Amino acid sequence: MRFLALLRKELRECLPWLLLAAIILLAIGGFILRDAQLHEWYRPSPSRFPSGSIMKWYDFTIHPPLSPVGPVLLLTSIGLGLALGARQFWVPHFTRTWGFTIHRSLTRSTILCAKFTAAIIAFVISLGTVWLALYWYSSHPALFSMLPVKRVFIEGWLFILLGLVVYLGTALTGLSTARWYTSKIFGLAFAAIVIFPVILQWRLGWAFALIIISALILLSQTINAFSEREF
Amino acid sequence: MSETVLETKGLTKYYGSTLAVDHLDLNIPRGSICGFVGRNAAGKTTAIKLMLGLLKPTTGSSTLLGCDSQQLRPAIRRRIGYVTEGHRLFRWMTITALEKFQRSFFPKQWDDRLFADMIEYFQLSKRQKIKHLSNGQRAQVSLALALAPNPELLIMDDPTLGLDAAIRRQFLQGMIELIMRQGRTILFSSHILGDVERVADRIVVIDKGVLRANCSLEQFRAAVKKVILTFKDFVPDEVNIAGLLHCRRTEKQLELILVGTSDDRIAACADTAGAEEYNIVKMNLEDQFIEYTAPKNHRRLFKWEEK
Amino acid sequence: MAIWIQISPGSNEPIYTQLTRQISEAIAKGRLSVGDKLPPVRKLAAELVINPNTVAHAYTVLEHAGLVNTKTGSGTFISNPKLRTTHAADINLLTQRMDTFITRALNLGIDAPDLIAMFKHRLEGFVNKSENEKKI
Repeated sequence: MRFLALLRKELRECLPWLLLAAIILLAIGGFILRDAQLHEWYRPSPSRFPSGSIMKWYDFTIHPPLSPVGPVLLLTSIGLGLALGARQFWVPHFTRTWGFTIHRSLTRSTILCAKFTAAIIAFVISLGTVWLALYWYSSHPALFSMLPVKRVFIEGWLFILLGLVVYLGTALTGLSTARWYTSKIFGLAFAAIVIFPVILQWRLGWAFALIIISALILLSQTINAFSEREF
Repeated sequence: MSETVLETKGLTKYYGSTLAVDHLDLNIPRGSICGFVGRNAAGKTTAIKLMLGLLKPTTGSSTLLGCDSQQLRPAIRRRIGYVTEGHRLFRWMTITALEKFQRSFFPKQWDDRLFADMIEYFQLSKRQKIKHLSNGQRAQVSLALALAPNPELLIMDDPTLGLDAAIRRQFLQGMIELIMRQGRTILFSSHILGDVERVADRIVVIDKGVLRANCSLEQFRAAVKKVILTFKDFVPDEVNIAGLLHCRRTEKQLELILVGTSDDRIAACADTAGAEEYNIVKMNLEDQFIEYTAPKNHRRLFKWEEK
Repeated sequence: MAIWIQISPGSNEPIYTQLTRQISEAIAKGRLSVGDKLPPVRKLAAELVINPNTVAHAYTVLEHAGLVNTKTGSGTFISNPKLRTTHAADINLLTQRMDTFITRALNLGIDAPDLIAMFKHRLEGFVNKSENEKKI
């Protein structure tokens, strides 16, 4: 009951960002796909990117359907991560509502759990469903002459997970009580750095492993910071 | 139910090298309204946050309703109401949404009728968002939210700061209403000593993080005295008397601030010092507080010379 | 309640003293008669917006002074002056205060006949008022 009430409140606070991210992805992604469909973008040619990397899919000269939408998803995901992390962990500091939130008949870990749950739900509902919808649209044989590559679809989920990593990094930075030029920036910096090896990685397995490890690191740091923090 | 609802032992908090709270030893009995007074930055908010487990002490401990402040279980927190400084609430919520939110944390003890009555009395529309309310209106909502769960212990951090007299009065009325129910205790910090005098039966004075007084209000009122000794010729630099806090010397008089000195002692001291006459000046609570917390041997801010 | 009590926090006088003073005066001036009931502690506290303990304390002080009687369950009532006991200490305090008053007056240059006239005039304010109230 109490957890659900807190979860509802957290979700409601995520709602504008959730919707914004979904609309951006749907609009731009939809436009790209529609354009690809109408103007028949598909013609093979040598790729400019190293043959091994994920990025080669995003060369517009050789692109299975849906792949041009990938970068949009990545950027939207990163943006959503930043927004949610800031909303949940920076805003209460500026509006001085931590006291009101923490003094409640719930343990600190439950409160944190509600925030995380809301963020995960937000990512899945906004970006997950839109990505799914775009994938479904792009797999219509009647509309596109080339079938989408499943790998591109899976990479999309990688980008969504990256967004969650950025969310955790933002949360950690928000919770840190150090000064900006010292350890406070660690969370954001770590998340930012992790993005590059992931997207330049060819093997999906390694990419996911990197994400999971960095997520776990940030998660444990964030949990620790929240439990120990003074409000 | 135990007699002490709040107890601190040697509670100390350092912020870097700044000492905010210095070995606070406090205990508040059940059923009292305790006024927490002190100058600005005396450490009142820090002490309150330490008691509520929002801050970690450097050393020392504090217990609330028998539970260690750093390990306050949800079941205990439900019995403690907390009004934060500035009445910070979620700005995007409407009053109704906020009520619904808060109520879900107090399923058995929420008083719907009281909340509705108060909101109606304050002439607030339940559909208004918190961000569209003035400071005073937000404080009123905060008061309703604090009283509706019928808390056993209500802690309020400067609840009437910046509010007009009418709203301050409403807060006092709310406190009286709560204290009339059995076994309730209120701790509130305030700068308005008139309010403290109205409703508090206990006073705690904190000065630069140090506990200066913890007694019934009546004891404090009776203990802090101002005595003016008038001399005909020679005014001594100082006098020796038990309980002397400050001594100010003017051309013909010595002004003494005494704590806990009996009238007989005062009379004897006046005699010994060779004073022509002495007057025990009646002070109000605000004057007593100012004198009590004045730094040692401070001079007057403005000197007015008689020509 | 026949009298209207006004308290002011921030005055030099503690609140419970203000209460006892006003109630004592009302009894002396006859605005409160024997058997009249003082408001219940909680009611007065809520009306004046002061701590109920302060009101209770004031009532206790009045009871010790013999002006009121408290019957548990019923309330606090004005006591019969004939049944009030006067302690030697009370008379002593009264004479001390009279001495202080006389000293001040004489030092101000008021001579004895004027002083007596002043006293009579003030006393009339009490005694007459109580007689008027009784007529109503």
